[in-house]
Amino acid sequence: MIDILNNLSMGFGHALTTSNLLYCLLGCSIGTLIGLLPGMGPLATISLLLPLTFKLPLDGSLIMLAGIYYGAQYGDNVSAITMKMPHAASIVACIDGYQMTLNGRAGLALFAAGVSSFIGGTVAIVVLSTVAEPLAHVSLLFGPADYCALMVLGFFCVSYVSTGGSVLSGFAMSLLGVLLGQIGTDINTGDQRFTFGQDALVDGIGLISIALGCFGIAEIAKNLDAKSGFTPFSGKIDLRPTWGEFKRIIPSALRGSVVGSFLGLIPGGGPTMAQFGAYAVEKKFSKYSAEIGQGAIEGVSGQAAADEAAARTSFIPLMSIGIPENAVMALMMAVFIMKGIQPGPGMIQKNPTLFWTLVTSMWVGNVFLLIVNVPLVRYLLSIFRIPFANLFPAILFFCCVGTFSHQNNLDEIYVTAAFGVIGYTLLRLRLEAAPLMLGFILGPMLEEYFRRALTINRGDFTVFIKSPISGTIFGLIAVFIVVNIAMNLRKPKQVAASAAAASASEH
Amino acid sequence: MSVHLLRGAFLLAVAAVFGFNALHLKIGSPAKPGPGLFPLIVSCALGLAALGMMTEGRRELTEPNTFVLKNIALITIAMMGFTIIAHWSVIPAIVFLVFVSSLAGSNYSVVRCIKISAVLIAFAAAFRFGLGVNLRWWW
Repeated sequence: MIDILNNLSMGFGHALTTSNLLYCLLGCSIGTLIGLLPGMGPLATISLLLPLTFKLPLDGSLIMLAGIYYGAQYGDNVSAITMKMPHAASIVACIDGYQMTLNGRAGLALFAAGVSSFIGGTVAIVVLSTVAEPLAHVSLLFGPADYCALMVLGFFCVSYVSTGGSVLSGFAMSLLGVLLGQIGTDINTGDQRFTFGQDALVDGIGLISIALGCFGIAEIAKNLDAKSGFTPFSGKIDLRPTWGEFKRIIPSALRGSVVGSFLGLIPGGGPTMAQFGAYAVEKKFSKYSAEIGQGAIEGVSGQAAADEAAARTSFIPLMSIGIPENAVMALMMAVFIMKGIQPGPGMIQKNPTLFWTLVTSMWVGNVFLLIVNVPLVRYLLSIFRIPFANLFPAILFFCCVGTFSHQNNLDEIYVTAAFGVIGYTLLRLRLEAAPLMLGFILGPMLEEYFRRALTINRGDFTVFIKSPISGTIFGLIAVFIVVNIAMNLRKPKQVAASAAAASASEH
Repeated sequence: MSVHLLRGAFLLAVAAVFGFNALHLKIGSPAKPGPGLFPLIVSCALGLAALGMMTEGRRELTEPNTFVLKNIALITIAMMGFTIIAHWSVIPAIVFLVFVSSLAGSNYSVVRCIKISAVLIAFAAAFRFGLGVNLRWWW
């Protein structure tokens, strides 16, 4: 305990220098500003702002990039809540957050997201500094089969949450996402798969193309179809909650922090899965679970805390075992290597100052987010108080620039446009794109672990049941499927008229 | 037709495309999986799920949402035109994007399109010269 306090005090000593404070503040503010722009998620924002950090010192550049990451995440949450323009990191924020905006409570949703992010970040930093090493060892206990089971569990969680209980269509979308993740070159053999002779597909489909296409562009087309003069930020934005509302934020934020801190630690988990996990937990355990899905504070605060907590604890696998668990961490890993630091076992021991400075600067970034960015957001949002007819060409432009800036490749915009059409078709068929995104992100990793599990066990498929962890997880999934089928069979036949009425109210 | 039947058919078609293409890849053996094994298994699982959804469709009669071709087509044309023109210069690309995509809006105004184009060109300049995004500025 004394060691941790000493290390934290050393970290604060470095993080609170004027230059590092400035880098942190700059990172958080620019990250929020760029992340606010529709079409600019954390991945696009970090990619875009990466050149700014090239000439900075090692700790300064990492602090600034981390600040950009958190700032962009909050900004991304804001665009998800107010305009339903999410990326992988804020898909769940759309569900209740956007509903709260439609109910005229955008300010409360933004406040809940900001405060919950602070709580999530703070809890995660306590986890990071106290139990980082033991938990990193726990994650090492997972074998390839266990990782597979964990990812399949993730698909079921996402399917259940996003489709409101109908697991089959959600799971099918996860599988579709996994298949889309197979497009490109097989990393084990170098064979091209499903490229259909197109050079643009040799490196696979970019996450940004799918995210912007299926969410951003499909959403624009849907709004245009509805001919709604929808203005995302019309009305007054009041960030002050009542005491009753504030009291509802804290418990769900704490639950989300615990879920996020845990899921952020496990490779294959991370912010995306953490949000869905926290949302499912809220749906199950919240006192207001009946309101979730219709604009409940808990639906925003739980996922925001989990998102932030997982974003911080996801640094642990990267720094302690050298595995980036998502695209953002892969970018971070690239920066570490560019600066001459090799993430992995021994990094914390070799670079304690860097590690503890980064840990403490995360909390400093949290404070900046809370006291600077959250109040500032209402003024930044006023920039966007413009009619949808004026806004949507601009959103399209940002989608194009966001796609292009990822790999400096204009041709990727074709892929984004194609996914716009696919996303729109899915929307019209009432198929959820969120499970597809998760399947796409986890698909390549799932295949890698699947092949590794089979190779290690000489082709024995029973390894997925014999391993205690994966056996338990698959057992739980089996029970879940049986219960779901039984519940579906009990449902009375729907009549077309009532379904059409429900559909009209949804869309 | 029930939305369940439609989406089941859609996903079944996708599963068939991926499944048949996976068969052309090396499948290998369970002990030494080739690049085609995993996608083949996932395609089969997707096909089964799609059949399950079609079976559900016999019980539930929900109609699909209306598919409005015009708006999504205009957006797609605007983006593709932007990409083609941006190979030469981003300025006319922005103008094309704004003028074509705005046709999908409920009320069209040339003056408004000019204003939006001007603002977006300013944004593009900030991206190009401020952040170093490699957007082609002139021919």
